Amino acid sequence: MKNVWVIILFTLREAVARKVFIFFMGITLLVLLIMALVFGLTDTQSIMALMNPTGEETILVDIIRNLEFLIVNPLANLGLLLAIFSSASFIPVMLEQGNIDLLLSKPVSRTQLLIGKYLGVLLFVFINIFVFVFGVWFIISVKFGYWDASFLLISVLITFAFALLYALIVLFNVTTKSSIPGMMAAYLIFLIVSPLMLFYKEQLHLHIESGVIKLLLDGLYYVVPQTAELMGRMLYQTASGNIIENFQPVITSILFIILTLSFSIFLFRKKDF
Amino acid sequence: MSAISTSSLSKTYVSSFGKKKVQALIDLNLNIERGTIFGLLGPNGAGKTTLIKILLQIIFPTLGNATILDTDISSYKIKSRIGYLPENHKYASYLTGGEVLRFFGRLSSINNKDLDKKIDELFELVGLLKWKKTKVKTYSKGMMQRLGLAQALINDPDLIFLDEPTDGVDPIGRKEIRDILLHLKSRSKTIFLNSHLLSEVEMITDRVGILNKGKLIREGTVQELTVNKEEYRIRLDDDKVNLERYSDKNISIHSSGENEFNVKVDDIRTLNMLIDKLRNDGVLIKEIMVQKNTLEEMFISLINKEENSEKAV
Repeated sequence: MKNVWVIILFTLREAVARKVFIFFMGITLLVLLIMALVFGLTDTQSIMALMNPTGEETILVDIIRNLEFLIVNPLANLGLLLAIFSSASFIPVMLEQGNIDLLLSKPVSRTQLLIGKYLGVLLFVFINIFVFVFGVWFIISVKFGYWDASFLLISVLITFAFALLYALIVLFNVTTKSSIPGMMAAYLIFLIVSPLMLFYKEQLHLHIESGVIKLLLDGLYYVVPQTAELMGRMLYQTASGNIIENFQPVITSILFIILTLSFSIFLFRKKDF
Repeated sequence: MSAISTSSLSKTYVSSFGKKKVQALIDLNLNIERGTIFGLLGPNGAGKTTLIKILLQIIFPTLGNATILDTDISSYKIKSRIGYLPENHKYASYLTGGEVLRFFGRLSSINNKDLDKKIDELFELVGLLKWKKTKVKTYSKGMMQRLGLAQALINDPDLIFLDEPTDGVDPIGRKEIRDILLHLKSRSKTIFLNSHLLSEVEMITDRVGILNKGKLIREGTVQELTVNKEEYRIRLDDDKVNLERYSDKNISIHSSGENEFNVKVDDIRTLNMLIDKLRNDGVLIKEIMVQKNTLEEMFISLINKEENSEKAV
């Protein structure tokens, strides 16, 4: 466990040194600054009076929650795209000759190495996401005087969606020792395959008559990482303080992460460097 | 007590589609005693680095097994007693020399309190103390080698693998590294050295192994390997005698200097017969020495012999 922690810490150090961390933090702080300025200059009270003339608290909460979601959702999706891009090379760099030789000559197991790197990258992404979500929540809470910390949970959900894609990237990193295939696979899943599968489940499912095709597509739906669900409906439900109706995407995603990482570790433990 | 022991260790690299196979190591049996310096020599591609990497489980053997410090190599925990300087080592360029040692020290489970002291000691030892807080991206090749050596010693290992440790180091630096290795040996550390610099290996190693095309073709002390059993040098007291006239089909004699002759014989009996003959003829012999080759001469002749015998087959 101590070894894993050392690797996590040095992965964070690597992220800072590569300017990835600073770049992310810079963008986050810039967005928050713009947001603070916009909210500072806007007469939100008159807008709220127009939207909620009776001043009913449930409507006020609804408006605030939706506002928070509207700000966070597109930026979180964009942030996820950037996170995939910036994190895809961490493991290939570790696997470079001269680097991996040294690491493997130390009393650290290959499993610890891979897990440490994976968690280190997740921690780096989580810190960035949390700062952003916290900033948005804080500005809006100050402005409207409504404080509900449950909104902060979405930072965990966004990191979880990233963890899902990053597990896939790790698998490609280990098999190819390159960052590009993993990055492309993650983009493909996130931007095309997962939204398509969600569209199938919600719109096409009832219209397909062939049982075999239905079975195949259903199987595919559960196998493919369900980032569209996580970053769509579940993100909205968490942000708006509603009860999450269906935990299936979370369960299948956890299974996907476990299986993908286990397979990556299995391959990594067998590989010559 | 053996530091390293291998039994029928073999490694075959297979290309992606199994079309091409390269035997990097063939049936290697080796035993290295603790507290010695062992030098592994061989031309490029002989399998030297492959052997070290197998022993450290960076790559896995196709066949055979090995132990390090009497522990099976598959146990990663034994690495807490091992140091390694790879041939082409790379460190994160954004780290300072001190941070590099801190990272590897912490991976070796050294606690923070002891680590600070250890890092200073090692920087002092390899002559880099004033560069401790400098980023490694500004280090020269020689400095990187020194840092690599310090890194290999961070956990005070019992067994140290060094792959071309003096590569890129100036002559003074090489001497300093040699002195460090001898100092380590005096502390009962075992050193496994891969080097192309044969003169260097000759100076410090206790035993030498020669690897060619994955096979260990010779192993022994430097003395054993460099002695040419069939060649002697005879020094006479009298400068008027020409020994070359004693040459025949079993003895080949050539002048090698003033009153000195190189004598090649088939065996020791022939040599003694020659001495008897010389003594009968009243020739005064001042000295008879076994002719020694340098390690380099021995190495080149051995590799050439191997090449020729392969061609003949």
